[in-house]
Amino acid sequence: MDIGVLRRDGRTDPFFDGTAAGRLVVRRCAACDRWLAPDAGGCPGCGDEDPGWAEASGAATLVTWTVTHGRPAGDGTVPPPAVLALVELAEGPWLHARLDAADPAALRGRLREGLPLTAVFVPTEQGEAHLLFRPEQGD
Amino acid sequence: MGDGAAIAGLGMTELGKVYGRSPRRLAADAVRLAVADAGLALGDLDGLLVSHGLGGSPGIELADTLGLRDLRLLTHMNAFGATAGAMVSYAAMSVLSGAASTVACVFSDAPLKPRQSAGSAYQRDAPEWYGFGGMTAALGFRSVNAFYALAAQRHMARYGTTSEQLGAIAVSTREWAARNPLAQMRDPISLADHQASRWVAEPLHLLDCCLVSNGAVAVVVTGAARARDLARPPVHLWGWGQGHPGHRKERGSEFGLTTGAVSSGRSAMTMAGVTAADVDVCELYDCYTYTVLVSLEDYGFCAKGEGGAFAASGALGPGGTLPTNTGGGQLSGYYMWGMTPLSEAVVQARGDGGERQAVANDVILVSGNGGILDHHATLIVSPHERGTA
Repeated sequence: MDIGVLRRDGRTDPFFDGTAAGRLVVRRCAACDRWLAPDAGGCPGCGDEDPGWAEASGAATLVTWTVTHGRPAGDGTVPPPAVLALVELAEGPWLHARLDAADPAALRGRLREGLPLTAVFVPTEQGEAHLLFRPEQGD
Repeated sequence: MGDGAAIAGLGMTELGKVYGRSPRRLAADAVRLAVADAGLALGDLDGLLVSHGLGGSPGIELADTLGLRDLRLLTHMNAFGATAGAMVSYAAMSVLSGAASTVACVFSDAPLKPRQSAGSAYQRDAPEWYGFGGMTAALGFRSVNAFYALAAQRHMARYGTTSEQLGAIAVSTREWAARNPLAQMRDPISLADHQASRWVAEPLHLLDCCLVSNGAVAVVVTGAARARDLARPPVHLWGWGQGHPGHRKERGSEFGLTTGAVSSGRSAMTMAGVTAADVDVCELYDCYTYTVLVSLEDYGFCAKGEGGAFAASGALGPGGTLPTNTGGGQLSGYYMWGMTPLSEAVVQARGDGGERQAVANDVILVSGNGGILDHHATLIVSPHERGTA
């Protein structure tokens, strides 16, 4: 499945400014000293509905994964599979993410809980850059 | 006795590819059927609880559509797939407190359109996507299938659960469906058929995923003493519970491994005065085969991590030790969210199961599951008044 065209919506500028510059920017509540997912609706510790932003390391590990297969078209052709995942940032938050997989079949055999991953940023002709996660070399 | 609450009526419209009726019309039809089933008139209702799927809410305006007057209880409820159990428990509490005497609980949905695939009814697509919610979809999370696949895969990685074990649930559920005239998918399937069905989102094959249906289902809840004098045998409500684990998307989360069945099951069974060993029949929310597997573990029918082996043992099918989803469930029967397991529980408790009737039906457990294993409801029902079984 191809990645769709992605647009910012007015509440996501720090995140997409980050992906454009090759940086992973997520939420961080300074008062609670707590990292939060970029899409967190607020800080569950103090209730702040607009916690600050901070740059995460981009290091992550694999929690769980799925290889999705699109519906076959009328002519029998099938869209290429996508490797989707829950990843755990080194700072603690989880993201629903997509793994960078030129060859999903080859990648599938390497997937395991705890597999080290690194955030990568793929510029696009249209819309915002895509945040993907790639297994570290050698893993 | 007679101080409990009971389900006195069940109404089901045609289910499946039923076109041309709005969710409100379907809901109204189901309420009329449920009231008639109980041997009551619409004017006997003094409470109405309304819920819906993706096809738009009937709204509390449903009361006006039905011409109901002087209701003492009327609201729309939503706990996603846990709503049916929640509605019935609120109806029972209303009856027990005297806030209302006769409450209809209805669910309706009409996501299917003519000449459109069932899957596309629950699939998102757009030329472009906005913000964080859009980003997840843009990356490939276009339907709920992928989220449940993440849960199932996590269980597999942690406990060694296999696709064949999930397939055993698809096969046993279809065996039951073959015995249910109302089921949409009645042709027998084998484990090989399950394995050969196309991948949707690994580790889920097509035959791990539920149907999509249009239609509506309603039940009428009233006092046990009154129910005894009505047209059909009462289905007594022994216990109920909800569980909302609030798994957070962060380190340490039990997402995919445990569900609200743990706490909602404990609440419902404690209230009913039973344990898992007393349960004769399970009617479990089966949006996916995996949902059944993890629910069985969390209710304590087997140990954590052993749901796969339990399902593959043959326990769940006809002739098994724990008849489960005896009408074909959502996988093979019909997809009316939490009303699928509840409606079949009423059929089994009344002894109306015909070819699929479970031999023992004294204690029936009904589950509801909503979100991505986020919300859970449990009911314990019985043909007998509590304490007399």
